[in-house]
Amino acid sequence: MIELDLERTQGNFSLRAQCIMTEQVIGLFGPSGAGKSTLLAMIAGLIKPDTGYLIVDGEWLFDSKRGINVPLHKRHIGMVFQDSRLFPHLNVHENLSYGFNLLAPKDRVLGFQQIIEMLEIGHLMVQKPHQLSGGEKQRVALGRALLMSPRLLLLDEPLASLDVRLKHQILPFLRRVKDEINIPMIYVSHAIEEILTLTSHIAMIDDGKILAVGPFEEVLHDARVLAIAYSLGLENVINAQVAAHYPQYGYTSVTVDTQTLSIPNISVPVGSTVAVSITASNIALAKQKIVGVTIQNQLLGKVINIKSLEKSVLVTLDVGCLLIAEVTAKAIVDMKIELGAKFYCLIKTQSIRLIKF
Amino acid sequence: MTDSIFTLSPPEIAALLLSAKVAVFCTLNICIPGVAVAWLLAKKSFIGKSLLDGLVHLPLVLPPVIPGFLLLLLLGNQGLIGKWLNTTFGISIAFTWVGAVIASAVMGFPLMVRSARLAISQVDSGLEAAAQSLGACPLRVFFTVTLPLAMPGIVTGLILAFSRSLGEFGATITFVGNIEGETRTLPLAIYTYTQLPGGDTAATRLVIISMVIALVALMFSEVLERQANKRIGRDIAPKNNR
Repeated sequence: MIELDLERTQGNFSLRAQCIMTEQVIGLFGPSGAGKSTLLAMIAGLIKPDTGYLIVDGEWLFDSKRGINVPLHKRHIGMVFQDSRLFPHLNVHENLSYGFNLLAPKDRVLGFQQIIEMLEIGHLMVQKPHQLSGGEKQRVALGRALLMSPRLLLLDEPLASLDVRLKHQILPFLRRVKDEINIPMIYVSHAIEEILTLTSHIAMIDDGKILAVGPFEEVLHDARVLAIAYSLGLENVINAQVAAHYPQYGYTSVTVDTQTLSIPNISVPVGSTVAVSITASNIALAKQKIVGVTIQNQLLGKVINIKSLEKSVLVTLDVGCLLIAEVTAKAIVDMKIELGAKFYCLIKTQSIRLIKF
Repeated sequence: MTDSIFTLSPPEIAALLLSAKVAVFCTLNICIPGVAVAWLLAKKSFIGKSLLDGLVHLPLVLPPVIPGFLLLLLLGNQGLIGKWLNTTFGISIAFTWVGAVIASAVMGFPLMVRSARLAISQVDSGLEAAAQSLGACPLRVFFTVTLPLAMPGIVTGLILAFSRSLGEFGATITFVGNIEGETRTLPLAIYTYTQLPGGDTAATRLVIISMVIALVALMFSEVLERQANKRIGRDIAPKNNR
């Protein structure tokens, strides 16, 4: 468990983060410049907060009142950076051993062989970092951090410098780390899909403040979060149960509470839980159920929130779960969209994306 | 007089050996202080930093006779420290080869520090932070990350200082004089021969030797640097694509 209340002002940017994190894996999410990396650096001990305190697993690592500031190298907090930061003069084996060798044998929770096998880097041992691909570098960096048996692992946008193809090669390794090794992690990213692959618990940060901590679906509907979520191109994310497959028609039906949704065909066993995303601009609203149209999903819901943005309006509807639709201001007037009114949300099957299973 | 013009006379050999001895001791002596000062200047901010920076670099911009004279005032037998050394321990530095080492160390030090400082400041502080996060204390980080990565620049600096020491003239002759077999290094010997009637052949021989040594040292540093860069995978392509 991590408990923190940290404050730091530098220039005209001030950060005040206050939260308690109890989940094993927390995604720290927010736009660039929100203070994600600064907060991470304060937890790691790379930079010193002005005031506040930080407790990790019951140990006080920082407390301005009592003058406690455990130095970086004594915090036992592992870090994986966006730019891997492998030591260029050491080969992969020496990089991996760097922190491992500094530990007393009794403190080595994770075995060398175990990590090498899990990350599939055994064949790289004698290579130098400049001989590795971007994805291999990040796997080695991850292994190096894990081998110091950290009490907490901080991942600072570890996939940001990789292309999409490589990201999808690394993500399964991160999931393995999460599933097989019981180390608490804070994963920083501005890509929500990356975070959701690992955890549904997020801490939303903006303008130097933690706005909300909790399951993604709940956090997203926090009024303060909504505008930021939208500015990040954030989609509706819905947890659903797989109900039936219709491969001959190219779709799978899933249930959300009492509603049923058609999504593009997937190969996941019936009964399992999946998360799907729908971009707000891909949801249209209609007063009546529409016949003679190719749109399969027509969900009736009640308007519970209307938020005007610069160029459009976000309408939140309760259809069993919460859905956000993006419409024009003109539509609000023309169609008399107001709180409590009932509308059908029209969603094309092809616009629904599977993001987690 | 049966010797060919390529045969060195005993005084010439003495000058050559003395120069080598002075340059080696000079390089060995500035090694650790040079790295320490370079690290201070590259990584730390403290009161008096620009003063230290200035003092270190002063010999580079002053006529060498001035550092030589200051050394004489400080370490000469009647000097501030020299007098005390002489009366307390019976040690005399002025007019000995040890004095020549000190004179060339003072002159070579800024070259060493400049090169090492640049190399140390170019070591990615992110790598040092990563090493610390892996549990290495600052001292270990210095020896396992900073120093190995800065090594090419440090070696270059040492070779520059070595070459400077071989060529040092002004400060040496001012501080320790021109005593054959004791303080007459190669440049001093060349100068002496040019002042003697018929000394040109000997002077030319020593000039050629000096040039060859300097050239080999520079080429050696180039090779070392290239190897070190290759080891860490740094770009070694010539930078002519402006």
